[in-house]
Amino acid sequence: MKIEDTINSLKELNFDLKYEVKNNNELYVRIKAEQIRKIALICIDVFKFNYICEFTTERENSEGEKPTIEGKESIVNCMFSNSKQGYYVIWSYITQKKPISLQNLISQSRLFQREINNDFDYKVKEVSGTDAYQIAVGPVHAGIIEPGHFRFSVMGEPIENLEIRLMYKHRGIEKLCEDINANLLNLMFERVSGESTVAYGEAYALLVEKLLNKEVGKEIKALRIVLLELERMYNYMDDLGGIANDVGYSYVAKKFGYFSEVIHQLCERVTGSRFMRNGIVPFGINIDFNEKKKKDIIDTLQSLKARVNSIIKMSLNAVSFLDRVEDTGIVSSAMAKKFCMTGVVARASNLKYDVRVKFPYELYKEIKKDINIETKGGVFERYKLKACELKDAFNFVEKALTYINKDIKRDKQEICLSEGLEAIVSVETVKGELVVYGLTGKDNKFSRIFFKTPSFTNWTGMTEAVLGEIVPDFPLINKSFNMSYSENDR
Amino acid sequence: MNNIFDRIKYGTETIKDPLYNNEFSYGKIVASENICNNCRACMSVCTVGAITINTGDNDENTVSIDNKKCIYCRNCVDICPKSVLEMTSDYKMSELELVGEKLREKIYKIYKRSLVLRVVDTGSCNACMSELSALHNTFYDISRYGINVVPSPRHADGLVVAGVVTKNMKEALEKTYYAMAEPKIVIAVGSCAFNGGIFKDGDGVYDVLKNILPVDLVIPGCPPSPQAILFGLFKLMDKI
Repeated sequence: MKIEDTINSLKELNFDLKYEVKNNNELYVRIKAEQIRKIALICIDVFKFNYICEFTTERENSEGEKPTIEGKESIVNCMFSNSKQGYYVIWSYITQKKPISLQNLISQSRLFQREINNDFDYKVKEVSGTDAYQIAVGPVHAGIIEPGHFRFSVMGEPIENLEIRLMYKHRGIEKLCEDINANLLNLMFERVSGESTVAYGEAYALLVEKLLNKEVGKEIKALRIVLLELERMYNYMDDLGGIANDVGYSYVAKKFGYFSEVIHQLCERVTGSRFMRNGIVPFGINIDFNEKKKKDIIDTLQSLKARVNSIIKMSLNAVSFLDRVEDTGIVSSAMAKKFCMTGVVARASNLKYDVRVKFPYELYKEIKKDINIETKGGVFERYKLKACELKDAFNFVEKALTYINKDIKRDKQEICLSEGLEAIVSVETVKGELVVYGLTGKDNKFSRIFFKTPSFTNWTGMTEAVLGEIVPDFPLINKSFNMSYSENDR
Repeated sequence: MNNIFDRIKYGTETIKDPLYNNEFSYGKIVASENICNNCRACMSVCTVGAITINTGDNDENTVSIDNKKCIYCRNCVDICPKSVLEMTSDYKMSELELVGEKLREKIYKIYKRSLVLRVVDTGSCNACMSELSALHNTFYDISRYGINVVPSPRHADGLVVAGVVTKNMKEALEKTYYAMAEPKIVIAVGSCAFNGGIFKDGDGVYDVLKNILPVDLVIPGCPPSPQAILFGLFKLMDKI
């Protein structure tokens, strides 16, 4: 179903809509508030769109509509995407009161609407009965973990219910982004989540390039892929090591920790920062790249590749390891779909969705052909899938490096944004699909930035995964998800 | 069995001296004197306001950079038309605050060998946390120096804080601090912890750490590399 077909079929329904197509793959539709429930139902049941997010934007008050607070009206935007054809649809309606609840149509709508309403009251559930008790964990955890509160309701041994309370780290990044000049905004984007620094930097570069309708050269695109995949490598190595560590298989855990250190040091040699910060900038790249660095990357990865494979094989051959991970923490495909999960955790549950294939950016169209999936959706499947993505990352770096045949000079160009442009981009980070909406404002700044971070929806998946498991399995399941608190809280 | 073969084949992977000279690391930004023409281009690209330019008596401009504020993005180095600023690879930037100096003497009169830490993240971007956990990998292997991270504040000598203090984490941070036994050390890891860094003006941010707890050691960086953290901790333990 192409973007024109969507428009035509909506016209047939006599909805009287104002629509606009921007940036080739974004359809913005203005509707009335009472229509949203009907349209959301059509989007899900008839069009089979994916629900992405809901957020508000503010706009100067136009004539003929009732003024709201401070002469501005608040618009609720409800975003869907068609992954088969690769376009986004945004339904926006003006509301004087709270946004219209879509809870019974889309389960995850609740999360976004709570944020819009500033509705943070919460009452912890209580359990009663024989052998029933609760375990409260956090916000300060044992070990080196970010803050978050977990409340387990346990009956005997198995977990009956898990409530995850986050937002301890809320800093107001979206609001901060509105005060920073567009030339420096990539620094703030990179600090939304440190583990996915490059992916966020890439999202910013794509956003600005989409707004100004420019493209970069093939060499730079290839180099960006190298950086993105290097980041994927050290993250998945840490994840695999973490799973092994929680099982108690310390040899594998320590080795993966060492490999990740090797990749970090490689990143430091290539870009000057262990997290490749300030590397990707709009219209170019902020690092000098030459033959020597290319050789360094190839040599380091070549020496590591066989070892990584042997260690993965070692863990898959260990009975004590398999005993813990198999059939643990299962999220069924239907539940994963319901929770709008993305990324590795969704692909482990048989959801065939990868941004690199469905909304290809840079050179992924040529490099990445198919999507790796597993069917069962347990810890073991996530472990296997992460190992598979890790092996893929090695291949992608090799392939991407073949596109780079000349030295690349660092190149940082001035960005000049005009007012009132908007765009949506999505990037596959290590955790899943990141969607960024940007609306430009005055003085070369953005007037609205919205992040739909992968962790935001994926955290809910974990409450499902732990049900029926014993409490000692929780760290294992948590590590197999390994969601970021920082990007969730923003 | 496989473990043993693998171990024999590749040998030990721990580095003997973790504080080796790393020429690729980012580090202190130094300014050469008598060249700056006060164009203030560097100040305009600094998101955290770490750069100050002072004009002396005979129209000499001296550029100074606050290490504890800097997020080491290199934008100022790149933009300077006269290349006054230069980034060195000197990661050894940690400094003991005045209180820390006294506290160190007090603590190491009693305990000479080890340092037991408790880590609290109050609003970092999780890169600092990632680097703190990298200290435990086989390459740096921090536990051989007697530095350990413990799950309970009751067992800890020092509190490691990463990130700005958000409104929601303020209470948890204070409770952790007061649960620790005296004498206690507070270590700020990363530029945001001590000075707020890039998140300073966020509407969810309560305050920066230095206004809430007495900070004894600051490890600057964004994020500080494991080497930089180790250097700071060694300085505290009087090993250097």
